[in-house]
Amino acid sequence: MVLEFKNISKSFGDKKVLDGISFAVESGKAFGLLGRNGAGKTTSIRILMNVFPADSGEITVDGSPIDYSRLNLGYLPEERGLYPKKQIFDQLVYFAELKGADKKEAKKAVDRWLDKLGMTEYRNKRLDSLSKGNQQKIQLITALCCDPQIIILDEPFSGLDPVNAMLLKEVVREQIESGKIVLFSGHQMNYIEEFCDNIAILNGGKIVLSGDLREIKRSYARDRLVVDSPSAEKIKADFGDACYERDGSLILRLADETDKRETMKRLIDDYDIDEVKVYEPSLNDIFVEYTEKQV
Amino acid sequence: MKQFSKIFKFELKGYFKNKIFVGITIFSVIAIALSMFIPNITSLFGGGEPEKRVMLIYSNDAEFSSLAEQYFSAAFQDYEVEMADGGVDELKERITSGEAECAFALNGLSSFTYYVDNLSMYDTNVATANAVLIELYRLNAMLQNGLTPEQANDILDVRIEAKTTALGKNQIDNFLYTYVMIIALYMVILLYGQMVATNVATEKSSRAMELLITSAKPTNMMFGKVLASCTAGFVQLAAIFGSALLFYNINKSAWEGNALVQSIFNIPIDLFLYMLVFFVLGFFIYAFLYGAIGSTASKLEDVNTAVMPVTFLFIIAFFVVVLSMASGNVDNTIMQICSYVPFTSPMAMFTRIAMSTVAWYEVVISIGVLVGSVIAIGILAAKIYRVGVLLYGKRPKLTEVLKSVFRKEK
Repeated sequence: MVLEFKNISKSFGDKKVLDGISFAVESGKAFGLLGRNGAGKTTSIRILMNVFPADSGEITVDGSPIDYSRLNLGYLPEERGLYPKKQIFDQLVYFAELKGADKKEAKKAVDRWLDKLGMTEYRNKRLDSLSKGNQQKIQLITALCCDPQIIILDEPFSGLDPVNAMLLKEVVREQIESGKIVLFSGHQMNYIEEFCDNIAILNGGKIVLSGDLREIKRSYARDRLVVDSPSAEKIKADFGDACYERDGSLILRLADETDKRETMKRLIDDYDIDEVKVYEPSLNDIFVEYTEKQV
Repeated sequence: MKQFSKIFKFELKGYFKNKIFVGITIFSVIAIALSMFIPNITSLFGGGEPEKRVMLIYSNDAEFSSLAEQYFSAAFQDYEVEMADGGVDELKERITSGEAECAFALNGLSSFTYYVDNLSMYDTNVATANAVLIELYRLNAMLQNGLTPEQANDILDVRIEAKTTALGKNQIDNFLYTYVMIIALYMVILLYGQMVATNVATEKSSRAMELLITSAKPTNMMFGKVLASCTAGFVQLAAIFGSALLFYNINKSAWEGNALVQSIFNIPIDLFLYMLVFFVLGFFIYAFLYGAIGSTASKLEDVNTAVMPVTFLFIIAFFVVVLSMASGNVDNTIMQICSYVPFTSPMAMFTRIAMSTVAWYEVVISIGVLVGSVIAIGILAAKIYRVGVLLYGKRPKLTEVLKSVFRKEK
């Protein structure tokens, strides 16, 4: 299955929020939709969720316009929230029913997911009696329990402790492997980098960069080395201005890409080296580079 | 339709599980039950005949003393009428000590002073005493002019037979239940309208709206919510009025002497049906407005200020109707206009139907306008809701929201 945004534009009043954005997401692969606040991510998602229509362009699944009566979408919004005063099981069943599940099947699915996420003991409790992390797991159930073909996760890992984050990672991985279309949105680059094969970066309603993340990274000049060494100070002194530190690692700038092998050999021969590799920009670096100047 | 019914059921269940809703209903039913049992309870604790209160009479003219005692005893049957000889001081002293409740100091037949400890708002003793003394004065005058006591009594006893036949509506009979219904409509709309607004704003402030708006159609959300609150309101009213009717029937014999209470329970069936129609339509109009406005508030604290214009509109409609009822002229020009304006017609037209004679086509036009307005306002409310729920931050002006609504329609 391929989900495609084709030249989507949307304005609110005089403000153009989306300006002809296009990208494609394949099933079985996660896609990262990135952008700074106000870049147009939520508007894109809302158009996909059929909250309001696009002014122009269309969204297709396998080349045909989306038939919302047949396509099931799961959505974890960035702004989390359910009914704080209502019983967890009741509201989860309600949300599943709103998406078209019948009561019996909704109850079954909710119980299955509560069990899977270790939340069965809270089944009959009020939502506001749960911790923030657990509330988030409940919210995740609303997105996943109807077995959606397309899953949209907006900042799915924010607010989760490491154990819960690991649990969520497993769940997300399972969904990707089972052939779902998973669309990530947000700013937590490390998670997006971990899951997403393809990305699109939105800035001021336009896509400023899109494609295969590995290829994007490879497209950067490979003229820097990352060095992990107990003799960092000595290397810095010897290499002078070509050396600088970044996030605790030593970066060595080469005069030319072709000097790579020779410099690596020199480092290993002359110094006590734990690790040396070619520097690749992180998604975070790429994101900052492309969104630093708001369009 | 399936989605609408899911929303309706979920919302309705929310009301029935709401402790405040259940509490108010149970409390009202108990209060109604107790008030319907009041006559029986009073007689139970009163132990049969109530003790008579003492009324003292002092006359400075000994000639009239026995006549005054006889006539005052006949006129004030709730009182034990006693003659006092000790003058005004004795009257005052016995009233202050609580031995007597009130007293009349007669100065001849044409003037008196009434003494009472605390003067009640409903004290009619002076008027009764006035009537008694006028009768005594006339009797005395006739006797002095040579009539025999029998002739004088014949003249004084003449009773005029009077009959009133209302060809239209009898406002005296209809006033009370019309008033009860208007108050009920007023309270239910304000209470449940606010509930709809708060409900929508709560979903928005708790951000459950983010999920709702992507899972359900705004029209289904709006109509489901409003219909659920309307149903909850009706169930509550049915419980309150139903229990009132039940307990009234259990205690019917005890209420036989009370025409006022009886008139409430003798509402004609056609008027009851009109009441239902205007009630439902009126409720819908305001509930839609409250829901739409609730959707523009981002925080619960904003709801009260946001709905104020609608509440004011409704309060004005209520006062126009109640003041017209009190003036006795429910067909005045303002009421006639209000009968066709959808925001006021549920109360105005119902009051006119109940307390005056209204042509059938006027009723049809009024209901027609109301039905059309309910549909139009319902659709507009759903559109406002769709725009409103996505707007966070500072509460937008209604004009801004309407602009966005109509811009979407282009």
